[in-house]
Order: sequence, then C-alpha cells, then structure tokens
Amino acid sequence: MKIYPYKRLGRPIALRVTSVALELADGTREPLDTSAYSTQQQAVALGVAGHDWVSAVIGVSATLPPGADAEDAPWSDLRVLAVLTDGETNIRTSTALTRDTDDSRDWSGSLEIYRDDHLGRASLAAYAVATVDGVAGRSIAETDRSWTVDTVSDEPVAGLQLEVQKASFTKSSREWLRAYADAPWIVDTSARVPTVFVNSDVDGIVGLLDSSASGVESKVRDLLVAQMATDVWTAVFHGAIGDLEVEPGGTPVFPTDWQGEVLREMLPDVVPGVHVEEALRQVHRRRTGDAGWAELQTRIHYAAIRRAEASKALGYAIRSLEQANRESEK
Amino acid sequence: MITQPDHVPERLALLPASAADPFITEQLLKAEQVHGGVDLAKVVVPLPEDDARWDVEPIRSLVEDAMFEFRDDRTRADAWLAPRLHATLRLTRREAADRRLWTHIALAVAPDYVAWRHLPPPTAQNGARRIAPERFQGPADRQCFSRLWWAAELFRNGADYEPVQVACGNQDLIHTVLRRDLIDHRPTAQALVRLVRNGKVTTGREINGLSVAITAAGATLVYDVLAPDEPRDLTPLRDWIAEAQTAPPVSRHVLPEGPDEDPVPEASVDALTDYFLELFETAPVRGTKIDS
Repeated sequence: MKIYPYKRLGRPIALRVTSVALELADGTREPLDTSAYSTQQQAVALGVAGHDWVSAVIGVSATLPPGADAEDAPWSDLRVLAVLTDGETNIRTSTALTRDTDDSRDWSGSLEIYRDDHLGRASLAAYAVATVDGVAGRSIAETDRSWTVDTVSDEPVAGLQLEVQKASFTKSSREWLRAYADAPWIVDTSARVPTVFVNSDVDGIVGLLDSSASGVESKVRDLLVAQMATDVWTAVFHGAIGDLEVEPGGTPVFPTDWQGEVLREMLPDVVPGVHVEEALRQVHRRRTGDAGWAELQTRIHYAAIRRAEASKALGYAIRSLEQANRESEK
Repeated sequence: MITQPDHVPERLALLPASAADPFITEQLLKAEQVHGGVDLAKVVVPLPEDDARWDVEPIRSLVEDAMFEFRDDRTRADAWLAPRLHATLRLTRREAADRRLWTHIALAVAPDYVAWRHLPPPTAQNGARRIAPERFQGPADRQCFSRLWWAAELFRNGADYEPVQVACGNQDLIHTVLRRDLIDHRPTAQALVRLVRNGKVTTGREINGLSVAITAAGATLVYDVLAPDEPRDLTPLRDWIAEAQTAPPVSRHVLPEGPDEDPVPEASVDALTDYFLELFETAPVRGTKIDS
C-alpha cells in the first residue's frame, strides 16, 4: 500500500467505456456495437474494421467513490481526467470529463485516438484531481486497473495475446526458420508480439491444431496447445527479464509493453507473497547476481504451467484415453 | 574500422529481429568486418514501392556528412543529426515504433555509422573494444538511429527543432530522460530543455536527480492539470509527411522545420520550469557535498 502525504479518497474510480465509433478513411463514421468492448475484460478492440480506420472516438464514464463532494472535504477545484498512454509510441493525451449533473458522482466525456499514433495497445485510466492543502494538481483517486485499448485486435481481451503462424520451416521466405526445420514449433519472443511458429512440414500438425473434432483428438490438441503455451510463457518470461532496463540505483523498471504484462502476471507465482515490484527486484538480483538463478527455474516453470492450464489439459487427455480404452475393451 | 556493406539497398525495408540476429556477428561488434549486404537483402520485409520516404540515398548521404563534419568529436554529431534525420525520414509514431525499420537502417544502410559513433574509444583497459549490440537492434532509446529520431520527436516544440539541439547536446539528458515516460508530456520536455539551456541543471548526476524527483512527484501530481497542453491534432503532421514526396534534401547548415504544429503553451512551460527548479533545489542529488 502506498502512503500519501495528503488526504485522498479511499477507493478507486470506476471507469467504463460507453461507446466506440470509428472514423474511416473515406470520411464516414461507423459506430461499433458492444462486442467491440468488454467491461469485464476492461478492453476495447478497434481492429474490427481492419486497417481502414483513421481515428476512433471512445465515450467514457467515470464514477467517483463516495466522499468526493463531502461538505468537509479537504480539497477544492475537483476535476476528472481520462488519460490515454502508450509506452511504445510515447503518447500521452488527457481529456477533461464533465459532471453529468450537479450532484452526480458520474463524470463523462469522449476522447479521440488516432491510428497513426499507435502500433499496438494503449492504456486508458481516469484520475480525480484537486487542490489539496494549497497544492494544485494533486491526484486524489485513480482507476485501480487501466482499460486496454487495442488498435489491432478485433476481440476485446486484456491478457497477453500471442500470434500463431503456420509456416513450412524448410520453404518459408523467413530464411531463419530453416535452421529449425526438425522442430514442430518454435517460439519467437523478439518480435513485437510473442509469436509461435508452427512447422507445417510436420505431417498432420496443422490438421490437428485446426481440427474441430471432439473426443480424443480434441483432447490431444488441447494438450499440444498447453505444451506450446508452457513453452511460450517460459520463453517470454526469460525474454522480459533479460531485457530489463535498470535505473542508475540498480532498481529494475517494469517494461511498458507486453513484457510488462507478462511479468506482472507471472511474478506472483514466481516469487509469491510480495509486491510485484519487490518480486521483480528479487528476480533481477538472482539473475544478475552470483546465486539463486538456477533455483528459480522451477518456479518460473511452475508459473508457466499454471498460465498454460497444462494440468487441466493433461487431466482431460488422460480421462479421454481411459474412456477410449474402456470402450475398446468392451 | 568497417565501411558500408558492398551492397547497400536502394529502399528502406523492415528487418525482423530473428532475421537480423545472424548478421550481428562478433566481427561486426568489434567493427572489424561487415556483411556483404546481398544475403541480408533476402530476409527483409519490403515497404510500399510508391513512397519516396523509403529512399535510402537521403539518409545515407546525411550520415556520411555527419561522419565527415564531426570526425574530431563524434558525440556532437547527435545534436546535428537528430533534427535532420527526423525531417528527412518523416514518420508517424506508429511507423517509428516499429523497431524493424531502425534495425534495417543500422544493419543494411549504415552499419559504418553505428560503428563510427558507438565503438568505445581505445583506452589502456579495453583491449577488445566492442559496440553494444543494442546500438544495432534494441530499445528505442538505445538503438543508434531510433534514439535520435525519438529525441527529435519528443523534444521538438512544434515545428521548432532548436530544443532538440539543446537536448541532444547533453548526452546525459537524452540518455537518462528518453527512457522515462515523463517527457511524453510536451510541456515537461520543454521545461527540462529550458533548465538545461539556462545552465540550471547540467551534469549527469543533476539531471538524473531531477528526473527521479519529477517522477516521484508525478506519482501524486497530475502534470496535465498543472501545465495543460494543446489537444493533439494530426493534420499538420499528415501534411508534412505528404510533402516528403517532393521535399528537397534538408539543409546541412540551418535547422530544418518540423510539422507545423502548435507550440507548447508558454505559460505551461513557465509553470513547470519554476516547479522543477524548486523540486531540484530541495531534491538530494547523490554525491554532492552540502556546503556549510
């Protein structure tokens, strides 16, 4: 928990996206239906129109926690801002929201986002700002979890997204894949989004992955996917830890792109029981220090297995094998 | 020292990290030997044919002029090249955030410049000198060309590149500040430049102390309220990018002009400069002695 040297609201702001409309290249405006955003995932997907959009207008509504307007509140000049940031393109734009009615706790407004300003994902947060103890611009409450605005995806999902590409490793125009011709899949974490290349030269692998069959085949497919996912999570974790920026004092900084998302998600399983910031420091110390890196591998592997839901996939695969065996014995 | 590859492409392209990796050899990092260029050309992702922005020649000639002009003091090349690279290679931020473009420039177009600028100088201790691989392919604030482009993008004041020259003239400023998201707020970037220009903050230690203090204060203060900026408008940038199709080469002697955007509101820069100065005077700077 953070300690602030001034009075604040005790609870976070609730932020909701209420509408999304795209401005297309031909000048027309296309309102998106509610499938473009998800309150549960806190995510907006602007990619539904493909590459044709130029800008998007996102309508938002923020509800302040109780107490913001209390008679005896120690602040004045209350304002609410929606702030959009993108660590990849260094964009920061803020929009003032307006109070719905005089005595309402709801503030709303809309912000414009340009496709040319983003390559992948941006975050959207809200701040309540006021003058406290004579100091202007103090933040007295924020959203505790930002919304994700994905400028590429057509599905509003907050978590890490992987790209899966199928390619013949021996014939691909990506010449570097040829070195891995005997592997069924490899993970590339150096791309902008972690990518799994599936080797279509392996007989039947593409058919198996794409199959919509039920029964044993689907369980084997899920097991294979879980195995790939375990590889991916392990690789992205190592990739993210290996690329950490370190402040002059030696403190590692959370990356702003997907690597940061991966670390925040996995660190609680890698170093349980401490804040993610402290967990990151510990992991970084072990990797760069003399001891403890090898010992940590088991925990990293464990965190990857949990993310990949490998136990569940294995459990179902074994059960369906047992069933199949029983039936063949009949 | 290496020269340019035998085969330099005519057009810029995208070079994915995994494809670039085999070309970043130990000999290249030691500036002893560079690839021939032909094999590298096979693994790139081409950019659209009909866009003059992807011509290699204007960039190649810029870096050659920089190497000649600053042959005696290569760190000074940054302040000269940053605005000129930015005005030559007119990009949206979306395009500039694609690291594959910068990797291609560093490896295929001008590896000799990367070596010239970033091979550590010989000292008694470092017998085996080596360029950091991140100068060819790496984070935006470290890679040889993307750090200059982003410094120009984040420190320019609308069309005016003069603040970029000041910022890039101080290695500590771009080294420490570029990696932090605090300068994503234009008034903050301009206030920092003003402090450096006025000589209020100069050494690396001071700049670092100040940027730590600004970030710490920013955890409780919303700078957008203290120092509001103009709303973002992409029209001038789009026009400027469209003009790239017919633009003449940038002047080597006077500063070019950037996109015709509104400058940062002066009142906001004033307010933040005063505030940062106050922060700086009360912030402990590591390693300084307090005069009694």
